[in-house]
Amino acid sequence: MIRQRLTYLIMSLFVTWQTLVMIVAPAPDSYLSDAIRKVLQPYMSLLRLDSQWDFFAPNVGEGSRLRVIVEDKDGGQHTFNPAQQLSWFHPSYFWVRGWYYAIMDNPELYADAAIARFCKQHAALHPAAITLIEMQEERFTREDELAGEDRTDPKFFTAKTIKHAQCPE
Amino acid sequence: MSFVRERLAAFWDVWSRIWFQNSPTTPLEITRIGVGSALLIHYALATPYLSDLWSDNGWMPRDLAVSDDPWSLSLLFGVTSEWQLAAFHFIFLACCAAFIVGWRTSWVKWVLLIGQISYDHRNPMLFYGVDKILAALLFIMCLAPVGRALSLDRVRAVRAAKRHNLGATLPQFTSEWAGACTRLMQIQMATLFFYSAISKLGGDDWWYGDAVWYVFTTDEHYNATLLRFFASQYWLVNLATYGTILIELGYVFLIWQRATRPYLLALALFLHSQFALLMGLYYFSFTMMMGHMSFVRPEWLHNLGLAWKKKIGPMEMIYDGRCGFCVRSMVWFLAFDGLQQINIRNFRIDPSPVVSDEKMEKALYLVLPDGRALPGFEAYRHVVLRVPGMWWMVPFFYIPVLSRAVGTPVYNYIASHRSQMSSIFVGAEGGA
Repeated sequence: MIRQRLTYLIMSLFVTWQTLVMIVAPAPDSYLSDAIRKVLQPYMSLLRLDSQWDFFAPNVGEGSRLRVIVEDKDGGQHTFNPAQQLSWFHPSYFWVRGWYYAIMDNPELYADAAIARFCKQHAALHPAAITLIEMQEERFTREDELAGEDRTDPKFFTAKTIKHAQCPE
Repeated sequence: MSFVRERLAAFWDVWSRIWFQNSPTTPLEITRIGVGSALLIHYALATPYLSDLWSDNGWMPRDLAVSDDPWSLSLLFGVTSEWQLAAFHFIFLACCAAFIVGWRTSWVKWVLLIGQISYDHRNPMLFYGVDKILAALLFIMCLAPVGRALSLDRVRAVRAAKRHNLGATLPQFTSEWAGACTRLMQIQMATLFFYSAISKLGGDDWWYGDAVWYVFTTDEHYNATLLRFFASQYWLVNLATYGTILIELGYVFLIWQRATRPYLLALALFLHSQFALLMGLYYFSFTMMMGHMSFVRPEWLHNLGLAWKKKIGPMEMIYDGRCGFCVRSMVWFLAFDGLQQINIRNFRIDPSPVVSDEKMEKALYLVLPDGRALPGFEAYRHVVLRVPGMWWMVPFFYIPVLSRAVGTPVYNYIASHRSQMSSIFVGAEGGA
């Protein structure tokens, strides 16, 4: 009887704890939620349970596209939008984009390695240098579409140079 | 004092009804099979990218991946060479396959959880919504007694019971802890939808009904054809935007009631099917759908099984109880008959009124509800299509021409040599 009660007690404590984690992890910051989260954080970090569940929220937000400009030895420029080659049906569609976002968000960490890779990838063009450009999307509204505008038109993007570097000889 | 005791008893009664209902694991098993399949396909497709995704020579060198958070652990931080990464990956894929079929589920599920978290922590740039959901669902499944139904573990348990008595049946596994884990998964899904909905309510895109339009203008989900269509039928954008929030909010409050659960479940599945088809979020959507399976009532599955059993009708397999090899084969075969659709008859002690003993000496027979009797290979061929637990054998029995051309002579050979086979296989085992 005592053993059974102890089992129920342990089970009850665990389901309460786990439910608390599910509720507190995505809760907005407040004095109370921050205090509880401090206790739960190691558990949530270890098991990857610290999620906000805020998909496309509060607003959808604008994305960015990575553009690669390869300068060849004769001074010619070749522009690539590498994400265009990805297939929607393969998970690499998201993995590679994840990498591009990492390059655009933290160029000081990832841009050099990315440029070295792009130099190798485009070896057939005899690249001398690579420029990475972040094409920040501007809002494209229904009115733009009805006016016959093209979403991919450069005027709906703001270009920002992330890094320019020479390819290794 | 008695008042306090009564209150406590009343509280415990409610608490037990919420958490500790004696439940089968079947809804969780559907989630297991679905999540395992999603993981297997997803990570199998990652195989050509292994080095890029998770090695030191890839996109995320180890020193950049190691976080300040001491709890952000990964077995892959200890992997230093390509062959170690490949070994880790293939063990993980093998465990995904084992998890799907429910083989040694009690420890395979932990390997999967540790593997999944290791991949996530090793390269956080790949981590997005679906990985968070997977981590949450996998952890609950690790705690739950999954593998007790719709699994090879169940087949092994039934087989063990039938080895002593071919007619033995094993009752469906139920436990209070299975009920608690199912409830945890349900709360996880409801919490997810709740926060997803209220976080949307704070944004103008959702409040003014434009969010779905903007989703399809972003790079990841850009769809020129759809944008053209939506521009001319913008009311659909508003409907889809508000509909998404309404379904997410409605789910949180109405999924618990018996009367409304089927509708909310159908709406949630519809929502995710749209995410998959229109936004290309197949992995995410399928994983979410599998999480929603925790709301499938076990009695729905039970009734579905009964309806199937009724549709197919009773089948009687007549076998030679004196042949050890035949009995052993029957034990294996019947272990997959989870709905117990097949009745058995040993013609040596209980002769069949339909099939003569002379015929039975030559082959096993299956008697159908309409009185037809199918011999040997044809009997098995008929059964595998009609018993859900045996559907995995269908490809072997239904290859046009080839299955019959090979299967019939092989069966006839085994049937005519069954005495020798019994002495070789069963005798050898007995001797050992």
